[in-house]
Amino acid sequence: MAIVNRAEGRLYFTPLIGFLMLFLGFPAIVNLVYSVSTVNFETLRSPTITGFGNYLSVLGDREFWRSVSFSMRFGIVTALAECLIGLFLAIFLAPLLARRSVLMAPLMLPLMVAPAMVGLMYRLVLHEFAGPVPYYLFEWFGDSPAFLDVNNAFRTLVVVEVLQWTPFAFLLFYMAYVAIPVDVREAAALDGASAFKALWWIELPLMLPTLTIAFFIRFIDGFRVFDNVYALTGSGAGGSTASLSIYIYHAFFKQGAIGKAVAASVLLFLASLVGLCALNWLAGLRRK
Amino acid sequence: MLNGLRWIVYALAVLAMNFPVIVTLVTSFKSARELSTNAGLWINQPTLENYLRVLSDTSRFNIYTYLANSAAAALIGTGLAILLAFPAAYAIARSEAGKRILLPVVVNLRAVPLIIFAIPLYMMYQWLGLLDTKLGLGLILTIVNVPLALVILVNAISDVPTELDEAAKVDGASSRQVMLMIIRPVIRPALVTTFIFGFITAWNEFLFGLMLTTSRAVPMTVGASFFFAASGGGVQWGTASAVMILGALPPALLGLLMYRQISGSMMAGAVKG
Repeated sequence: MAIVNRAEGRLYFTPLIGFLMLFLGFPAIVNLVYSVSTVNFETLRSPTITGFGNYLSVLGDREFWRSVSFSMRFGIVTALAECLIGLFLAIFLAPLLARRSVLMAPLMLPLMVAPAMVGLMYRLVLHEFAGPVPYYLFEWFGDSPAFLDVNNAFRTLVVVEVLQWTPFAFLLFYMAYVAIPVDVREAAALDGASAFKALWWIELPLMLPTLTIAFFIRFIDGFRVFDNVYALTGSGAGGSTASLSIYIYHAFFKQGAIGKAVAASVLLFLASLVGLCALNWLAGLRRK
Repeated sequence: MLNGLRWIVYALAVLAMNFPVIVTLVTSFKSARELSTNAGLWINQPTLENYLRVLSDTSRFNIYTYLANSAAAALIGTGLAILLAFPAAYAIARSEAGKRILLPVVVNLRAVPLIIFAIPLYMMYQWLGLLDTKLGLGLILTIVNVPLALVILVNAISDVPTELDEAAKVDGASSRQVMLMIIRPVIRPALVTTFIFGFITAWNEFLFGLMLTTSRAVPMTVGASFFFAASGGGVQWGTASAVMILGALPPALLGLLMYRQISGSMMAGAVKG
């Protein structure tokens, strides 16, 4: 007999399910209805259903595609960089960290600082008069690039994101690396495998599931980026650094284009469903 | 030799990844006069004047309000998430229900960009009068925290042997009593971890704070960005740095104290994702 019977189980689930229905289920329905309606701030409570005009205007909007492209590139580049650097650090620093776990704390500190706050901090770091980076570049090379102009903003934001979130990838990889059983390593050594061969043929394949999952998590987070980009560049010169999240935010709060913002939200929701299915499929493969 | 190289790589990694925090910390101890000539990482005449100004002159920028708002909203968002997730986690761990649909759906929420719910929530809040309230912000932060809370608590309860529940039931305890009087004390460490992690996440949230608050309930992350916007062209960098350091301090301190527990829950969240 199960310890919690069916009626009790229902009772224990109810508050959570009710809360989720109210705060996510209801908004999801509103999204769907409004996305096929003509609506503005005056007719907020009585939208008229008019068909797929909002979707068409989103899909025909160049700014929308530009933000999709920004999010896509940003997600892929940052996730790749974070995983590669994180993997290197995890394996290279493992002997150091194994004996002194306190050393982990400074590496994890970036994860505790609000991304929005980090974005603001980089305004200082990169500021042409008050920032140390331009200060030293001028001191040493007599010149400093404009980090946040149209040409460099994307690269700058990638570096900002990667430096803050590499610790996350590093942490997952480090824990997966030290979780490899000792006898696996011993067996490889007994068979005469060099350290490099053991890494390439045994340890990395064992860590592969963690690698894929970390990549996906970081990709999703990079794709939906908002806080640090918004705090550092806003949507950037001419919208060059508007991510999809920033596009939705602007459509709603700055342009008051509710229908467009909501339609873009639904499209983003569909895209994230596809991503999630892929992630779950990968996780399912792993359990087999 | 190789070990020396490891130390160098470690030091460089720590320096690079914490660079914005280091720079802000250094700048917060510089006077406005020093800053105009020295933007480097060295402080010639350390001063506390920036902190004193931020903490004493609250006429234009009241940091206490922002800190209090963040604390209140984060406490609501974390406490409520645990209250909702704990019974559900117990039911999932101790029966067949919820494993197939509820758990995966909630867990996957973590990866859904929450901005897609932002617009309807904004309208709903306007209607309910929850805009610009700490309670309203706290309720949203609950949504942010529920997924990881559920994962950590389900894992923790599943690790408790069912013999413990059965023994209590034989002695005549109801399942509610088992949950509250047996399970709750046993998984205390997991509850603490969930709380710390949730509090940090909630404190650091920005998007909903930006959209759903305007003056009375503005949290620290948004308040700090107001500080920049309000000062227009001439940002007082020393004062701004002191604001950022004070705003980042609570989660950073919590995180540094509890980094072991936090790394464990990040792993749990990722693997179950």
